[in-house]
Amino acid sequence: MSESSKSKGSVNLNPSPTLQCKDLHEYLKSRSAQFLETLYNYPTICLAVYRELPELARHFVIRLLFVEQPVPQAVVASWVSQAHAKEQLKAAEALSELSVWQEAPIPGGLPGWLLAHSFKRNLKVALLGGGRPWSMSSSLEPDGKARDVAFLDAYALERWECVLHYMVGSAQTEGISADAVRILLHAGLMTRDADDGSAVITRAGFQFLLLSTAKQVWLFLQHYLHTAEKRSLSAAECLAFLYQLSFSTLGKDYSTEGMSNNMLVFLQHLREFGLVYQRKRKAGRFFPTRLALNIACVRSDNETLEPADAGAAPRGYILVETNYRVYAYTQTSLQAALLGLFAELVYRFPNVVVGVLTRESVRQALRGGITAAQIIRYLEQHAHPQMLKADSGGIRSESVLPPTVVDQVKLWESERNRFTYTEGVVYNQFLSQADFVALRDYARAQKVLTWQSERARTMVVTRAGHDDVRRYWKRYSKSS
Amino acid sequence: MADDNTPTDCSLLVVVVDTNPNQRYIIEDPKVLTNCLDAVIAFSNSHLMQKAKNQLAVIGCHFHKSEYLYPSPGKPLDVRQIDGQYELFTLVEKTIKMRLVNLIKSQPQEDKPGESLLAGALAMALCYISRVRRQLSPGLTMSSRILIVTGSSDTAAQYINYMNVFFTAQKQQVLIDVCSLDKHLSLLQQGCDITGGLYLKVPSLEGLLQYLLWVFLPEASERSKLVLPGGGRVDYRAACFCHREPLSIGYVCSLCLSVAVVTRSHEESTRDHGYCFVAETSSTVFKIGGPLATKPKKKKMKI
Repeated sequence: MSESSKSKGSVNLNPSPTLQCKDLHEYLKSRSAQFLETLYNYPTICLAVYRELPELARHFVIRLLFVEQPVPQAVVASWVSQAHAKEQLKAAEALSELSVWQEAPIPGGLPGWLLAHSFKRNLKVALLGGGRPWSMSSSLEPDGKARDVAFLDAYALERWECVLHYMVGSAQTEGISADAVRILLHAGLMTRDADDGSAVITRAGFQFLLLSTAKQVWLFLQHYLHTAEKRSLSAAECLAFLYQLSFSTLGKDYSTEGMSNNMLVFLQHLREFGLVYQRKRKAGRFFPTRLALNIACVRSDNETLEPADAGAAPRGYILVETNYRVYAYTQTSLQAALLGLFAELVYRFPNVVVGVLTRESVRQALRGGITAAQIIRYLEQHAHPQMLKADSGGIRSESVLPPTVVDQVKLWESERNRFTYTEGVVYNQFLSQADFVALRDYARAQKVLTWQSERARTMVVTRAGHDDVRRYWKRYSKSS
Repeated sequence: MADDNTPTDCSLLVVVVDTNPNQRYIIEDPKVLTNCLDAVIAFSNSHLMQKAKNQLAVIGCHFHKSEYLYPSPGKPLDVRQIDGQYELFTLVEKTIKMRLVNLIKSQPQEDKPGESLLAGALAMALCYISRVRRQLSPGLTMSSRILIVTGSSDTAAQYINYMNVFFTAQKQQVLIDVCSLDKHLSLLQQGCDITGGLYLKVPSLEGLLQYLLWVFLPEASERSKLVLPGGGRVDYRAACFCHREPLSIGYVCSLCLSVAVVTRSHEESTRDHGYCFVAETSSTVFKIGGPLATKPKKKKMKI
């Protein structure tokens, strides 16, 4: 008998990899411990990291915040009831991953937990006060030309759409700098055309367009930070400043006084993307916009419709009917083009685009690497206010979209994923039927058998069960 | 009671702080109030720190009136950062302190401090919660709870008001937590039990913040996962409607279900007075059929 170990592509389960959007937790996890250590010197980062932690982990941190000595691990574990021990382990793991706490022995030899010194100090500063003020908070005399929230929203939207328009190759290319283009190229959202060297959008770029604005900004900034290091900007400093912005108040002006040269450069970049508003380069004050404030609320999956700012945020324009018709009240070609990614456009009027979601159109989008979830998210995010109001006939559904449409789009996706991949080990070329049957029955009893064929005397065992089965085989072949 | 243990998008916490000057710990050392207040402010800020969308209200409860300490009605204060504290937290701290000073200054000087108007403050909290709920944008879910921090003793004088508030809270799915600084409060403990909140009598005031953060900071959905104090037996004795004292055995009116400690029966006393005890609170004239009511007496009472 021979066993050939064939790993059936567990690495790349998804045929066309979708765009990864890490949240802060994952981003920080991928960075080195020293980098985290420098980050925890900023109270803002500590605050942001704290909010990203799982519930139980937050509870642990807040209880340990005012404790100076290490606390035995057993004591920490006893804070959570037995039934939820798994979640407790997960929380503890999250804290260790981000080096928020470290293991520290306590007198008596038991292992204990101790919050990282700088994290503890700076979280206390953020919560209770003390320490140095944030760099941008020096006081200002009242501004004669203060801007209101509506103006800032409009400004931010216009700037951000500039970037998106550039991506879809609309004629409008002014107002985007070489830096922004470099970031788009670096992120793989756009690529240089082989012929004339002009930037064209990639498959990832299309997925990027379907993300919510907050996620777009965050993803974009992540890549910005990657490239920032090459331009002698400290990523830690930039990240800290970003979170300062995200914890500031909308519609209030902040001073640029006391900011380092690097940060002023960074500020100009943010201004270009619409994260801050500045009247003039040398104005000495700036206004953070809603784009900057949203950075802190990027969560991977449980992101809701962001209706908290529905009043001021760009209004939705898409109506979806139960007969799969989609009406988009829009005048910009960008939005029409986006809709065209997954819907078949039927009519085009000056102020409205009508499309139909068909199996073909959706499958085409799916082939392009766009997921059903992304399509649904996009439709939800831009749902017309009328959709939000409409009640779904007493059915309390998660989505504002008609349930039939949501289900069908998901079904169209799942009909493409008819394979499930399991990693396994093939056993074949058995010398006798009896050997095969013995081994197969053993594997089946252990519940590790994935597939078998008696005629071919071949069986597949899961990777986890392989060692066990092999041991059994050795015992078995020796004894017989 | 909050049955569903699914985490919500945001949570609203209303803290009711008892600032009545005739609490025992304040009489002994007025400075302790500052410490307690600092603990409450730090606790409130920790609540805001949990999630970006969390909301907070603080109500100060005095003996002459209750007032919102945060958020302040009208335009919020214009604060600038002075140290490394998060701007919002500075705003909370400044607003609470400033408005509390105003509240204490506004107390009538000549009157002797009476008991705190806790039931009224609770009603205000419920009103605030229902307002915020109504303004909540569609698609968001919010859990709400009330925390009472008090060192006053438990009087049954506001019994009916308390019970009304407790059952309203239960119906609105609002948790009521009570943190007692001084004495055991059986009436408020009933409220916690009815609404599914937690009751804790703090053993010492020094560690107040730590207790608050430990017991009262976790949300309802999280509490089931943690080992928290509480439970124990709840004293469910009702207070009588005549002397407002808890009693184990009493008389219950068959019509209005009011409880009385008086040795004579309710009917008798009704006959004497021509109205029921609850007439005081509900102002309904109790009509008795039969030959017992004598007309002249009834007239007297009506005048």
